[in-house]
Amino acid sequence: MKVFKFLLSFLITAALIYLLDHSWIVKGNRLPPLGKFLDPFHGFWQNIEPKSDSSHTEPLNIPGLKEPVTIVFDSLMIPHIFANNDEDLYLAQGYITARHRLWQMEIQTHAAAGRVSEIVGSIALESDRASRRLGMVYGAEKALTGMMKNPTTKMMVEKYTEGVNAYINSLEDKDLPFEYKLLDYKPEPWTTFKCALLLKNMAKTLCMGDKDMEMTNALTLYGKDIVDLLYPDREPVGDPIVDNTNGWKFKPIAFDTVPRAIPNELINVKKIPPSDPTTGSNNWAVSGSKTATGAPILCGDPHLNLSLPSLWYVVQLHAPGTNAMGASLPGSPAIIIGFTDSVAWSVTNAQRDLVDWYAIEFENSKRDKYMLDGKWTATKKVVEQFNVRGAEIFYDTVVYTHWGPVTYDETFQEKNNRKQHAFRWMAHDESEELMTFYKLNRAKNYKDYSEALNHYSTPPQNFVFAAASGDIAMRIQGKFPIRRLYEGKFVLDGSKTSNGWQAYIPNDQNVQYKNPARGFVSSANQYPVDATYPYYVTGVSFEAYRNRRINAVLTASDSITVNDMMKLQNDNFNLKASESLPVFLSLLDTTHLTPEEAEAYKILKSWNYINDKDSPGAAYYEAWWNNLMPLTWDELEKNQVTLSRPTTYNTIRLIKEKPDLSFFDIAGTPEKETARDVIRKAFALGVQDIREWETKEGKDARWGAYKDSYIGHLLRLEPLSVHVLAGGNRDIVNAHSKTHGPSWRMIVSLEKSGAKAWGVYPGGQSGNPGSAHYVDMLDSWVAGKYYPMLFMHKSDAPPTTTSLQLNPESK
Amino acid sequence: MKFLIQVIAIFLLSYILEMFLPWYSLALAAFAVGYLLKSRVNFLAGFIAIGALWFFQAWMIDSRGASDLAGKVALIFPVKEKIWLMTITTFLGALVGGFAALTGALLRKPLKRRVYY
Repeated sequence: MKVFKFLLSFLITAALIYLLDHSWIVKGNRLPPLGKFLDPFHGFWQNIEPKSDSSHTEPLNIPGLKEPVTIVFDSLMIPHIFANNDEDLYLAQGYITARHRLWQMEIQTHAAAGRVSEIVGSIALESDRASRRLGMVYGAEKALTGMMKNPTTKMMVEKYTEGVNAYINSLEDKDLPFEYKLLDYKPEPWTTFKCALLLKNMAKTLCMGDKDMEMTNALTLYGKDIVDLLYPDREPVGDPIVDNTNGWKFKPIAFDTVPRAIPNELINVKKIPPSDPTTGSNNWAVSGSKTATGAPILCGDPHLNLSLPSLWYVVQLHAPGTNAMGASLPGSPAIIIGFTDSVAWSVTNAQRDLVDWYAIEFENSKRDKYMLDGKWTATKKVVEQFNVRGAEIFYDTVVYTHWGPVTYDETFQEKNNRKQHAFRWMAHDESEELMTFYKLNRAKNYKDYSEALNHYSTPPQNFVFAAASGDIAMRIQGKFPIRRLYEGKFVLDGSKTSNGWQAYIPNDQNVQYKNPARGFVSSANQYPVDATYPYYVTGVSFEAYRNRRINAVLTASDSITVNDMMKLQNDNFNLKASESLPVFLSLLDTTHLTPEEAEAYKILKSWNYINDKDSPGAAYYEAWWNNLMPLTWDELEKNQVTLSRPTTYNTIRLIKEKPDLSFFDIAGTPEKETARDVIRKAFALGVQDIREWETKEGKDARWGAYKDSYIGHLLRLEPLSVHVLAGGNRDIVNAHSKTHGPSWRMIVSLEKSGAKAWGVYPGGQSGNPGSAHYVDMLDSWVAGKYYPMLFMHKSDAPPTTTSLQLNPESK
Repeated sequence: MKFLIQVIAIFLLSYILEMFLPWYSLALAAFAVGYLLKSRVNFLAGFIAIGALWFFQAWMIDSRGASDLAGKVALIFPVKEKIWLMTITTFLGALVGGFAALTGALLRKPLKRRVYY
């Protein structure tokens, strides 16, 4: 009896421990192992950092270091790394970045490599397949080859990797970042390949979008005139980034052009969503002639999906020959957007088309061979393996051709197409972008900047530049294929290698200028160049509003101060509304409004076109616009093939100039609608949306609350995300939409006595939700406030800082 | 008295073991003390000792914490309030501690009786 009791009790204890030490799926949700996770000695409680954190002060022994490294943390937890050589500098950067952002670094590279399903299960399988089918791993392998060829970039990624691994190896179970505990897995060793994957992840965000299939379908369905009307390469608007009309003196590379057969096809695929096409960025530099101090000022704010842990990690890197500070990407060595003692630089996305789809003619359904230059050529089949957590291993065969992978096929997001298409993407080519950042981090003048940019290929960026010597400059740098007219806008014939990219625009012929007469340079993802530039330029979409607002303000300003620049980065003037709302209102028949609509009309009529968070007018306008777009382009969505909407600017232009266009007729209604009817209907729906929102929320609609912006955690866990009340929106300089916005705001005044800089981003340096530095900069960011950046010249720690000593491991 | 000593012993031993070993080392502590310092209510001793240990440790960390991560975890689970998360933490630790102490004590009983009868 006693033995039985003992055994029973023993079994209960053992079963309890087993149950609580393992992760279980309950009602479709994976629960962490409760014992492990809730144990206050090892579980998530250990991730709650104490208010007074003194853990940084003990010196650490780090394998791989040659000499001691000093790291000073300021009150924002920004590390200022002082090393005696480049190797130690990048090793320390890897170590300290991992210390704050390890989980984020790994999950982002897992996303690029199509491996998230290993962590979260089959819910991520489709997006993992998409990553593999886009050839992200294939591109990263090429990128790594490029990195390894150059001894400097090889040193950078190898040392950074050593630093990350030194941190990973120092981790005990209780120190694991929160998300590892929640999802019950452990970090794997970091590799140089992961650095390459991370850069491909950025390329996917910034230059993977295209409209070749959509344009081909539109051409087949509607003809060339409508394509030119709805989707012009160049919209008749505003300032290009560089206006150098008739100033392009070089001899462009030209081809003996053969007229290109444009395939007459209707293609039906569910495209892998590119990043939000309204994602963009601003940057500008004003020359000393326009500033109060006489020193040039450079400003940059890249707009990206706002997430937690924050996209950027601010760091200062100091070693003999370099002293740079700014925003780095966790997972990559060096500073990407920042400044040195004597120069500053920032980037916006160049938006150019670097993707082509080639129609492939296979010999038969086995897809072993395809036609290339008159011969049946063997394809390469790559079997991708997915170790899906909690499910069987999934295998996916991807066919590779001369052009790249056949992304969509009968097993993946495609329906009954006559032909399959191979994906040609610039980010699949070997490159050495890190060399650009290595050199920019050491740049002293325009010549250094220019030389640094020569190493840069993808994703192409508008690099703004300013130097303490007084120079300001803009250069659109990337590896751009030389395109014949319309080449790359539509799907291409993949049976001839001559249809491929044969030459690239030489670096010195890329769009650029220095010290223009107007006293400033700026870019906001608009069309890059004036019409006299000799190369054909096409892209997914070019911005039409932010750039004009920025240029108007800068043109009108003199004696510019840093404060003025802060105001401009946070400017909420809605140029789009100022150009469209008067037209919309004039098209409304005000004699037939419901009382609620009449009230809305009154609010809109008196609105100042400023998207401040407290503005009711902005809420009504945006609600109206949000209904107008889908209602106008409803027939595009009702088609059985893949199509895309015209841009915001073009939609408004067509409402003004072609109100009788057939697209304004709402599909499925007997009447023949015009732009006026669509505007009326969208107005009614918009007012209705606001009314419903107000009923639900129990308060009047104000823009910030109605927009409900949030900074979402990468795992989309609502409690770890933060909602903010903020103004701005897409197409506004303060481009803060519901989910996207300025992911880092930086202003640098390049004074003779040294660079002064201010910065802020919507989050914090620590990726740990249990840290005081998880979102400590967020409130300032929302309020349009900045932190002066502590730019140090030697490692003597000023007060309000803590410092950490990293020592070589004693042998 | 014996009961109190037993509780304190489990509390201290598992505190020490948890410094170096995984969470379930608390069961070893409770088991060993249950065996060595058997009382009349061993389950309760283990339950109270580990419950108290886990509760105080969690409460200390949370009260000194720079952020309300516990409150957020409560929402993820979702148990809404942090107090429930603390309760669950305390209860789960206590439950394992209780059964482990009981097991230790039960191991001793039959041995003893075999010796005396």
